Amino acid sequence: MTVDLRETRLPGVGVKYTLRTALGGRLAVILHLDGQREIYYYERATDDEPTAVIELHDEEARQLGAVIGGAYERPRIVEELELALGELQIEWIRVPDDSSAIGRTLAECGLRARTGVTVIAILREPESISGAQPGDVIQRDDTLVAVGKAGQFAEFRRLLAEGPF
Amino acid sequence: MTLSELAVTIALLGALGLVARRFGLSAIPAYLLAGLILGPNEPTQLALVSPSEVTEFVAQLGLVFLLFFLGLEFSLERLSRTGRHFGLGGTADLVVNAGLGLVIGVVAFGTTSAALVLAACIYVSSSAIAVKGLIDFRRLGDDETDLVLAILVFEDIVVAFMLGFAAAGGGGPSATLVLVAKALGFITAGVAASHWLSRPLDRLLDRLPLEFFLLFSFGFLVACAAVAEQLGLSEAIGALMAGIVLSETSVREQIEERFFSFRDVFAALFFFVFGLSIDLSTFGDVGWIVLGAVALTLVGKIGAGMLAGRVGGFTSRQGFNAGVALVAHGEFTIILAQVASGNTAIDPDARADLVAFAGLYVLVTATVGIVLMKESKRLGRALFPVRRLAPES
Repeated sequence: MTVDLRETRLPGVGVKYTLRTALGGRLAVILHLDGQREIYYYERATDDEPTAVIELHDEEARQLGAVIGGAYERPRIVEELELALGELQIEWIRVPDDSSAIGRTLAECGLRARTGVTVIAILREPESISGAQPGDVIQRDDTLVAVGKAGQFAEFRRLLAEGPF
Repeated sequence: MTLSELAVTIALLGALGLVARRFGLSAIPAYLLAGLILGPNEPTQLALVSPSEVTEFVAQLGLVFLLFFLGLEFSLERLSRTGRHFGLGGTADLVVNAGLGLVIGVVAFGTTSAALVLAACIYVSSSAIAVKGLIDFRRLGDDETDLVLAILVFEDIVVAFMLGFAAAGGGGPSATLVLVAKALGFITAGVAASHWLSRPLDRLLDRLPLEFFLLFSFGFLVACAAVAEQLGLSEAIGALMAGIVLSETSVREQIEERFFSFRDVFAALFFFVFGLSIDLSTFGDVGWIVLGAVALTLVGKIGAGMLAGRVGGFTSRQGFNAGVALVAHGEFTIILAQVASGNTAIDPDARADLVAFAGLYVLVTATVGIVLMKESKRLGRALFPVRRLAPES
C-alpha cells in the first residue's frame, strides 16, 4: 500500500507534510526553518482541533525518526546470520588511526593467536580484500571483519588499539 | 533624542511588549502605544520624546531593515512553489478588500492618490501577526493555513509595487509616468542583478571575515536604499531590492541570522517613532474612517477568506478561520502610511490623516484580530454547525 504523503510549502514558516492514517486519523508534520519540528495529530481526519501536538528539537526529531524508520531495530538479515553462526559472532571493527598494527601484516600482529578472533576480510577503499591472508598488511582507515566468540572481541579491540605488537 | 530618553523609550517598549506577549497579543500595537504615550501629542502627560532628526533616522533604519527582510524572503524560486491557492485566494482577497478599501478611501479623501494609499493600507494584512498567531494557536497543521500563507505572500507582492506609488505617486500624469519608468527600471535592474550577480556575490561574501561580511552586507543595503532615495523612489524600495538581490545567494540564511536582532530592535523603534506622530486629537477627523474601516475589514477579510475557501475546496469553517487570520493589520499598513507621509504630491492634511488613521486602525485590528483568531474555531462551530454522523459503535 502506498501512503498518500502530501508536501506543502508554508512561506516564512517551513515545510508541512500531511498524511492520513489507515485508521482514519490525520498527521501533519511541520519542519520549521529554524530546525524545530512539530507533529499535529488529529484523531479523526475532519477534526478541527488537534488531539495532540508534539514539539521536538532537531536532535530529538532525528532520533525519533530513526526509531520510527526502523534504523534502531536489528535488521533481519543480521539475525539470520547470527543464527547460522551459532555461538560465533561477526563484527566490523575499524582500525584506530593511531594503532601500531598499521603497516604490519596480519601474521605479524598475531591477532588470532593472541585473542582467538579471526580476521576474514578487510574493508578498504578503493578495493576490499574478501579472503584475508596472513600476509595482508593492515592500513590506515581499514575496517576489519572478524569472526570470534562474544567474549573475545573486547580483548581484540584493546589489542588493536593499544598493542603491543 | 538623548540617551536617557532612549533608555526610557526602550524600557517602556520592553514593558509594553512583555504585557502584550503575556496576553498573547502582537508587539506591534504595543510599540505604537508606547509612541502614542511618550509622544508630544495627546495624551501629553508623559510627553518625553519629540520627533527629531535622530528619531527620524532611527525609524528610517527600522524601515530599511523591515523591507530588507521582506526582500530576502522573496526569491523567484520560492514564489513558484507557493502552490495552487496563491492565484485564486490572492485574487479574491485583492478584489474584495482593495475594493472595499477604495470605497472608504474615496469617501474620506475623494478621488485622490491619498484614497489609493488608504485602500492599500486597508487591503494588506499583517504577515507578522498572522504567522505568529498561526504558530501560537497551533494552526500550522490545519489545511486552511496553506491558504492563509499563500494569500499573505500575494499581498506582500502587491504592496511592494504599491510602495513606489505611496512614496512619490500622484503628481500628475507625466510625473507619475516618469516615476513608473524609474521604478520599473530599478526593479528590473534588481531582479537581473539577483540572477546574474548571485554567484560573484556569493564568492565574495564567502571569503570575507565575519566583521567585514557584516559591514559589506550592511553597506550594500544602505547603498541600495540611498540610491533609491536619490532617484525619488523611497528608501523602502531600495532596501527591498537589496534583499531580493541577496535572496538568491547561498549566504542568505547567514545574513538573516546576523541581522535578525538588528531588525527587531530597529523595527521596534520604527513603530515607536511612528506612534510619536499619532495625534489623538485628530480622532474627531479620522475616528469615523477608522470605525468604518474596521467594520468593513471584518466583513471583507472574513468574506474573502470564505470565498477563497469555497473556491479552493475548503469547508465554511475552514474559510472562516482563514479569513479571521487576515483581520489583523500591522507592519505594512504602517510602512505604507509612513512612506506616503513623505510624499509631497499628497495634500499635507490628507497625509496627517493617513498617519493617524494607520496608527489607530492597526491598534484596533491587531488587537481584535488576534482575539478573534484565538476564538475562531469556537465561533466557527457555533456559526456553521455540522451534523455529525453518529459515532461508530
